[in-house]
Amino acid sequence: MSRWWLLALLLVSPAAARAQEAPLVAALSRTDIEVTTGFTGASLVVFGSTEQPIGPGADEVLVIARGPTRPVVVRRKVSVAGLIWVNGPSARFDQVPGYYVISGSRPAWQILPEEERQRNALGLDSLPLTSTGARSPAFRAALLELERNSGLWLEDSEPVEIAGSRLFYVRLPLPAAVPTGDYRVEVLLVRSRRIVAREELSFRVDRVGTADRIATVAQAQPLLYGLACIIAAALAGWLGSVLFRRG
Amino acid sequence: MQVYLPIAEMSVDAFLLMGIGFGVGWLSGLFGVGGGFLLTPLLILIGIPSPVAVASGANQTLGASVSGLIAQWRRGNVDAKMGGVLLAGGFLGSFAGVQLFALLRRIGQVDLAVSLFYVVVLGTVGALMVMESARAILRRRGAVRRKLHEHTWAHGLPLKMRFRKSRLYISIIPPALVGFGIGVLSAVMGVGGGFMLVPAMIYLLGMPTSVVIGTSLFQVVFVAANVTLLQAVQLGTVDILLTLLLLVGGVAGAQFGAAMGTKLKGEETRALLGLLVLGVALSLLWGLLRPPGNLFSAGPAL
Repeated sequence: MSRWWLLALLLVSPAAARAQEAPLVAALSRTDIEVTTGFTGASLVVFGSTEQPIGPGADEVLVIARGPTRPVVVRRKVSVAGLIWVNGPSARFDQVPGYYVISGSRPAWQILPEEERQRNALGLDSLPLTSTGARSPAFRAALLELERNSGLWLEDSEPVEIAGSRLFYVRLPLPAAVPTGDYRVEVLLVRSRRIVAREELSFRVDRVGTADRIATVAQAQPLLYGLACIIAAALAGWLGSVLFRRG
Repeated sequence: MQVYLPIAEMSVDAFLLMGIGFGVGWLSGLFGVGGGFLLTPLLILIGIPSPVAVASGANQTLGASVSGLIAQWRRGNVDAKMGGVLLAGGFLGSFAGVQLFALLRRIGQVDLAVSLFYVVVLGTVGALMVMESARAILRRRGAVRRKLHEHTWAHGLPLKMRFRKSRLYISIIPPALVGFGIGVLSAVMGVGGGFMLVPAMIYLLGMPTSVVIGTSLFQVVFVAANVTLLQAVQLGTVDILLTLLLLVGGVAGAQFGAAMGTKLKGEETRALLGLLVLGVALSLLWGLLRPPGNLFSAGPAL
């Protein structure tokens, strides 16, 4: 992993020093994540600088990254006749972010009043997840648990690092199962338990090359794709029998 | 070497997939079956979503069976007329099966249905095979001659047709029904169905053993092609990269398996295959009976 963003950090700081009127400046180390057939995950760095020093008792920085949303169904297994386990009641959640990472120089609940944190959806417990179907709060808890285990939802897994009291950076890990689409990154500056400045950034996760072509054709031309799959498999089978024929 | 599967949307070790393909191919070459019944559960076990595992499994079965079909066709061991009747039933069956699969997916019971189908079908077939071959091994010396031809209720059905290669004059209803059943199973389980078709042809239809393998391959290739197409169009769950990686290992494995298969006796091969089928059924049954580690599961809403 290259460390060129550290260099960028150093370049940003004099610029930030000159532009004294901006209380918060932030940028991303990359704005395009390419998912190729060899993709095993990636990471990007959110970095920037503040006008005032960061630290306990002074300014604090919060970084929140949100991925594209999709509807999710959470199902609970029930035991039928005390014998086999089958999927029973379910709850449907619309608008579930496929990626959610929040990180701060200190945890959000320590530096912001509760109602402010809830209003801005800062933290896994304040995500606005509304569901239809089964009512039990256990479904919401299960969804949080499953997403956390998949590594796509993270809360304060690593803090925002401070360098030289006014520079900050944090790494956002993107596992292999990261959904494709548009991502929003919000950087918030918190002073005396109030949000005083915010910076909106964005990046895209895109399938490229062969992986993208296969997925696109499969979606746009399913009949053509199906026929291609049949021919490809038949050819591979035939070719194999020619190559490996003994005698 | 990790490779990103574009339809399954996950990253898997390519060598693991080729290894699975090789192992399944080796067994399928050894026993003369497609091996789909081993492949699909293995794919689900390594974390491929069931719909993708079933659809890509059918696609892989097609590729794996093509070479066998070509070889059998050259030797004239394919009864194309019988194959055609089986296929007509098979097409209808696979169409019905894909509809059933789409319905199961909507109500969130795919995993249960796939497992149940496997447990019931493999359990029955495996148990029958083990019993039949055990009996055959026991009385290998005191061989009892079976009657060549028996008249049953099936011979009273209408729509009779003459199948020259199979030396049969029977109604087309039993083979069409057999084909239909295999078609449904093929769509839901992602298998070619050879391991059931072969005994059905011998015991239910009374076909001579010489044309059974070739004709079953004929049916399997075309039904698997139909399932692939239907799954691709209706559910979009065929992952070509997954299929091809499995085939790379599979075609190589099949050749080694076939070479070894010639050294084993017929009854022993069938007993081993029966035990294998039974083993897969039991492990899936355990998966249904065992209290789940996590009661909750999440999936995309359809």
